[in-house]
Order: sequence, then C-alpha cells, then structure tokens
Amino acid sequence: MSAENTKKSLDKRMSLKEAISMFVTDGCSLAFSGMGGQQVVAPTYEIVRQGRKHLTLMGDSPCECGDYLIGTGQVDRVEVAFIAFAVAGVSPNYRRATEKGIPHKLDVCEFSNFTMGLRFLAGSMGIPFMPTKSLMGSSLEEYNKMIKVVDDPYGGGKVALVPAAIPDVAIVHVNRADKLGNAQYIGFGSNADVIARAAKHTIITCEEIVSTETISKIPTLTTVPQYVVDAVVEVPYGCHPWNMSYAYVYDLPFHMEMMAAIDAEDGFKKWMDEWAFGCQDHEQYCEKVGWGRLRKLTQYERKFSQCVV
Amino acid sequence: MSFTGSAVAPKKQDFAEEYTLQELLVAAAAREINDGEVVFAGVGIPCLGALVAKLTHAPNMLMVVESGCFGPKPYRLLLGIGDNSCLDNATCVSPLWRAFGDQQRGYFDLGMLGGAQVDKYGNLNSTAIFAGGDYYKPRTRLPGSGGANDIAVSAQRTLIMMNQQKRRFLEKVDYITSPGYLDGPGAREKYGYPGGGPAVIISNMAIFRFDPQTKEAYLDSVHPGVTAEDVRKEVSWDLKVSPTLKTTPAPTKNEVEIIRILDAEKIYTGAGLKGLTATKYFHMLDESYDKLKAMFK
Repeated sequence: MSAENTKKSLDKRMSLKEAISMFVTDGCSLAFSGMGGQQVVAPTYEIVRQGRKHLTLMGDSPCECGDYLIGTGQVDRVEVAFIAFAVAGVSPNYRRATEKGIPHKLDVCEFSNFTMGLRFLAGSMGIPFMPTKSLMGSSLEEYNKMIKVVDDPYGGGKVALVPAAIPDVAIVHVNRADKLGNAQYIGFGSNADVIARAAKHTIITCEEIVSTETISKIPTLTTVPQYVVDAVVEVPYGCHPWNMSYAYVYDLPFHMEMMAAIDAEDGFKKWMDEWAFGCQDHEQYCEKVGWGRLRKLTQYERKFSQCVV
Repeated sequence: MSFTGSAVAPKKQDFAEEYTLQELLVAAAAREINDGEVVFAGVGIPCLGALVAKLTHAPNMLMVVESGCFGPKPYRLLLGIGDNSCLDNATCVSPLWRAFGDQQRGYFDLGMLGGAQVDKYGNLNSTAIFAGGDYYKPRTRLPGSGGANDIAVSAQRTLIMMNQQKRRFLEKVDYITSPGYLDGPGAREKYGYPGGGPAVIISNMAIFRFDPQTKEAYLDSVHPGVTAEDVRKEVSWDLKVSPTLKTTPAPTKNEVEIIRILDAEKIYTGAGLKGLTATKYFHMLDESYDKLKAMFK
C-alpha cells in the first residue's frame, strides 16, 4: 500500500512497525496525542527503534515522546508548550539539550497548550492561522517570531495570531477504533481531535480494534472520523506507564523508577538499551513489565471508573 | 484573613491545634474559592484546596482540569491533570482547546498558577532561569508554559502558589511566562486580556494581595510564627505591608481531617513521591475508594 491511497483503504490495520516505517521518515514533523495520561508511549519506543532523524516535534505538553526523542538525538526542533513528566518530574533530556546542547542543540519554539490547540485547529480547518488573546505581552511573544500581534480588523483591539500546524504525521492513541479508522475515546482526548485532522498522515493506535457496529452504537464517542486516518494499530497498554481512561490506572511506581534511571545521560542510554532496543516490539515490552502487573492496573481502573460504555 | 464569599468564619474551637504547613496552605487555597465558582485547578496543593473547598464551604464549585474534564468527584488522589481520576463522576468532557476557549470566553472564575519566579506585579516565570545565561542558554531550563499563559490571561482572577525565597520573589522575572499586571496599572487593559489578573499569592510564609491602584503585591497576612520582617528578608523588592496585617488562620479540624483522607500517603502534603512503592500505591487506591466515596455523598 502506498502512502497516497491509505485514507481510502477499507482495512487500515497494520502492525506498529509497519505504520511507523511507512509514515515516519527522516526530516518529518510529528505530533502526538495525550495530556499526562493517554500518552503515546509504545509508538515512541518504536520510533526510537527505527531511528529516524532530524524530526520536528509539534505538540502541547509531550512527555515520553518529547524527552526520549530529544535524548536519542532524533529531534532537531520542537514547537511546544511544555516538556516534562507532569507529577513525576522534569524532563532530564530536555534540560540537557537546552542547557548544555547534549546530545545536540535543539531549536525551541514555544507556545501555550491552548494556542498549540488553536494551531492544530487552524490546520484541521484548512485556514492559515487563528487569533487569540493569549501570548500577547508575555515573553513567549517576545522570543517567538511565529506569533504576530495585530489589530483586529473589526475594531476589537489587539489579538495574537498563531499559524496553522500541519504535521506530516500524527499519532493518536484511543480506547477503540474500527478497521476503517473511526476512533473513539471513552474519556478525554485533549487536543487529539484537531491533531488527527490537521496532519497529512494519521496513525490511530488503540487499546482494542472493534467492529464498525460497536462504533455505531455510540457514534458521539467518535473523536476522529475514518477519512482522516491512514493506519489503525492495536496496541493494548500502549500508554504504559501512563494511565488510559477506562482501561488502566497510572503505573506511578514504574514511572518513578524510570525517572530515577534516566536522570543521568548514561542512565538514559541504558534505559533505551533495555526498554527500546532490548524489546523487539511492544508485545515484548509488555512481557518485560509483566502481564500480571498490567492486568492489575486494569482491575484497579475498573473499580474506579463509573462509565457504562 | 477575612472569610469572604461563602466561607463562614469558623469558631475558635473549630481550628486545628495540630497541623502541618502544607495543610495550612491547602486550607488557605480552599478559602479563596467561593461557592458556585468554576475553578481551573492545577495538580498538587491547588487541587487539594479546590476539593477541600468543595467538601466544605463551596459544594457547588465546579472544578475543571486542562485535559478537558469538568466537575470530577474523584474517589482517589488526583495524580495529574491527565489522570483517570479527573474523569471520576465528571459531568462533562471536552477537547482541551474547547475548555481553554470557554476560559477565554470568560466562563472560568478562578485559575491556579505556580512558577519558579514571581515579581511584584505578579508576573510568573516557569520557562527558564537565566542566571548569567539567557533564554537560549539558560542555567536552568524549566518545562515551559503548558496552559499557564492562557490561565493568566483569561481566568477572571488567579491564585498563585510560590515558595518564599528572595531569589524567587523578584523586582523583575527573567522571562514572563504568565502575565500578571506586566509593568503596572493599565498594562492588561492595553492588550484587552479577558481576565482580571492575580488576586493573591500564597507562599509557605505568607499571603500577598495586590494594591488596586499600583497593582503591586503587598503583604496581607503572615502564617503563624512568621513575622513581617522574616518575609521582607525573602522578598527582593521594597515590600509594602498592610496596615491591618493579619495572621493566617489555622486550618479547621474538619479541613485537616479531609486533607488527610484525600492525601493519605502525603504525596502533596509531605515527603512527595519518594518511597511510593507499588505495594503502597495499590494500598492507597484500595483505602481511598470507600473513604472518598463516603465523603462525597
């Protein structure tokens, strides 16, 4: 299948390895869904394994996909609002790159969570920019030449303009999707709806591939419609150690171990050797974490989540 | 401290005798919230404050978090603004950009912010500490805005939580991530920001409010055992002190009890995440379910 006709395909299922190798190329721009939880972790490890370089990362608040791909030297430029691991701590690789140029200098272009969302919204609607009241007067405006402050032509005072973001590839992790690519969240999607629509190519990874009949039962849950999607990949526990709503709770103790391990540069390399290169694929990653542990995370989520879907 | 809004002034015997500094901060944050308000809450002490308010004087407060979850009543500790707990008993879920759009439209009464540096006009830096370097080569790179710039611009008023240190309370921050009153009176109006700006700074030593004329932060209240002189030593500008300087009231017995149920492992009100083993973590989830469920009834 060529990358040109993939959106019209009636069966977009493929392996994670195939999806990443088909769409993620040297020099391309990438965007990921997730906001703390729902983080796109398994595809990040696969991108590390395949080693594509000179990537541009576009996103609101990337965690693993920001820190890891900066640490491996695969990302040259970021257009983001925030890079850290939320409650688990700061991003050691983002700090090394911006403070010391390790592994190499990083081109940083900063927005806010809302205005990155607006950039994807503009991209998703095929218009060149969006106006906002955010950013003006702050140092973000001062240091980022992509932000333009203009007078509202309708007389409403000053507004900041942010340009459309059209990533080459979006990777969006959802609860379930059918083979056509209709993708449903049972929970929050953050900016996923606009990230998926703005990108040239969109890979949907999901906890479970389901029938179109199942999707049709509650069509309001469909965050991403089939016509924007190029690939559908079943990746259960694809967010681990992060949480996925109605699927599994946050594996915070695992995350704390990881944070301690990647704090130093050589520790990060060891972690990648073990968890990215040491596992052939996500299946092996899950085996390494332990299916018993993963199932326990699911059992806890079932206890708490009240959703009846 | 005056118990404004819907908070009813507690009686002397209601105040806790034994409590920690963090518990005092949670209670102080809670008291900034009025019943019926829409509150954009950040993780940690601000979020605990919002939940304490909901469980005491502000039952009709609606909490919103950045991932796009509205009105959660979680039966477990919130481990982030994108934690599954943000969906527990929630009443609405929307895309992130839509939630922030609602804020820009003016629907959110209070936003909660923090940072590594604050200045006398309430501008916050959570982007980079230059310290001899510059933006392109800072000594310490911080995570960046996230949603903070948007909250600072558009929430109707903001609450700032900070650690009290001279190097953090500055005449001017290195980088304005989140605008307070920028360079003083009239600056927010020049840009037509939808929100009114910072209302209060709560630090580990004191509470500051903003002069309506000069827009400068002044000392309004000191926490028990702290003097105005102690605070002045940890502020870089010539700090003005309220002629009616107050002492921050202790948390009530009820508030302390609620905080100790919400954060039973003291993740936000104690040693943090250190020592959180898997066994402890699952135990925490087991314990919280019934206790929080009963509390939210």
